Amino acid sequence: MPTHAKEADPALRVKVLESILTEKGLIDPKALDALVDTFEHKIGPRNGARVVAKAWVDPAYRQRLLTDGTAAIKELGYSGLQGEDMVVLENTDEVHNMVVCTLCSCYPWPTLGLPPVWYKSAPYRARVVADPRGVLAEFGVTIPETTEVRVWDTTAELRYLVLPKRPEGTDGLSEEQLAALVTRDSMIGVGVLAAAA
Amino acid sequence: MNGIHDLGGMHGLGPIIREENEPVFHAPWEGRAFGLFAATFVFAGYTVDEFRHEIEKMGHAEYLEHSYYEHWLVAFEQVLEKRGFVTAEERAKRMAELEKGVH
Amino acid sequence: MLLTPEIVPGLVAAGASARVAASVAPRFRVGDRVIVRNLNPTTHTRLPRYVRGRFGVIEKDYGVFAFPDTHAHGLGEKPQHCYSVRFTARELWGPAAPERDTLLADLFDDYMDPA
Repeated sequence: MPTHAKEADPALRVKVLESILTEKGLIDPKALDALVDTFEHKIGPRNGARVVAKAWVDPAYRQRLLTDGTAAIKELGYSGLQGEDMVVLENTDEVHNMVVCTLCSCYPWPTLGLPPVWYKSAPYRARVVADPRGVLAEFGVTIPETTEVRVWDTTAELRYLVLPKRPEGTDGLSEEQLAALVTRDSMIGVGVLAAAA
Repeated sequence: MNGIHDLGGMHGLGPIIREENEPVFHAPWEGRAFGLFAATFVFAGYTVDEFRHEIEKMGHAEYLEHSYYEHWLVAFEQVLEKRGFVTAEERAKRMAELEKGVH
Repeated sequence: MLLTPEIVPGLVAAGASARVAASVAPRFRVGDRVIVRNLNPTTHTRLPRYVRGRFGVIEKDYGVFAFPDTHAHGLGEKPQHCYSVRFTARELWGPAAPERDTLLADLFDDYMDPA
């Protein structure tokens, strides 16, 4: 590889590839537009929030979700790329689950969209396996000593979604209102949901 | 391989930097790079494992200093070159043209 | 195949699972104690350094998947079982780690031996 290519502006390097591949008839730039639009506007953590809210209000769904995450998530219309084989981890008073991919940046796209930069960053990937409680503290989360912190390193092709604990004081809320309370970070396991005011 | 990508348990990499209201793509080129994965995957016949390995082979300093989608760019360039779809010479020629404002 | 905008929604919704529809016997069962092999290939692997040589327990058998270590290099799928394997934080990081905490990694048959 010529040295200057590595040092070049990444925007130019992408343009180099896109323009050559388009000229050769190997790609259709409109397909790239469609992919960008899909992940900017249609797929994101709101999908996962709907899964979580449904699991909170529907015990039979919750059971299906914990037994076969892929199938239960597909019931709500979410499936596919980087969520082909889903596992759902339920946070309880006994166990706090959290997810990382130390080797690259594997993440459940159909339910959470594309990962934030911090999730893909070296500091998170390096530290969360050895010092999960220290990382949680940086996110403002304290888990009691009596609760087991369970870190899941996504080293193969399973993708993990955390089912956070339902916040207290939310008994009267609708499924839609509950979904609005669910944060992306709570579904990675680096956040917990505060009790409703 | 025992590369820089195998980060679990390492110290000294600094704080975890979070961004409020982070956009899905930080620049248009990141979206184009993202789209290239599916678009090239369907014709170029590489595996996700091979794609990851190309990233793992990056120099350690280069890996740490460059962003996620820049890692992807390295992998695209390598897998497309290996299979003869886009050679290094073609890339260099096109880069020179783009820098001169042709295309 | 040329990816067109019309194909994009179907491709995104279907994905490409790494599962392999092959009947391969598992080398381990849930609850088995294992020791992770101390492998140091110069080629692709999904076995992180920090679990090599450590003792763990098979938590779940996820079924049969393509083996990344061969698949990355055009050496075939070598289908085999992939498991969720549980390690105590103390096994991985020493006695200063919290007693209750654990870590689970997804590991293939070829990465482990019975302990």
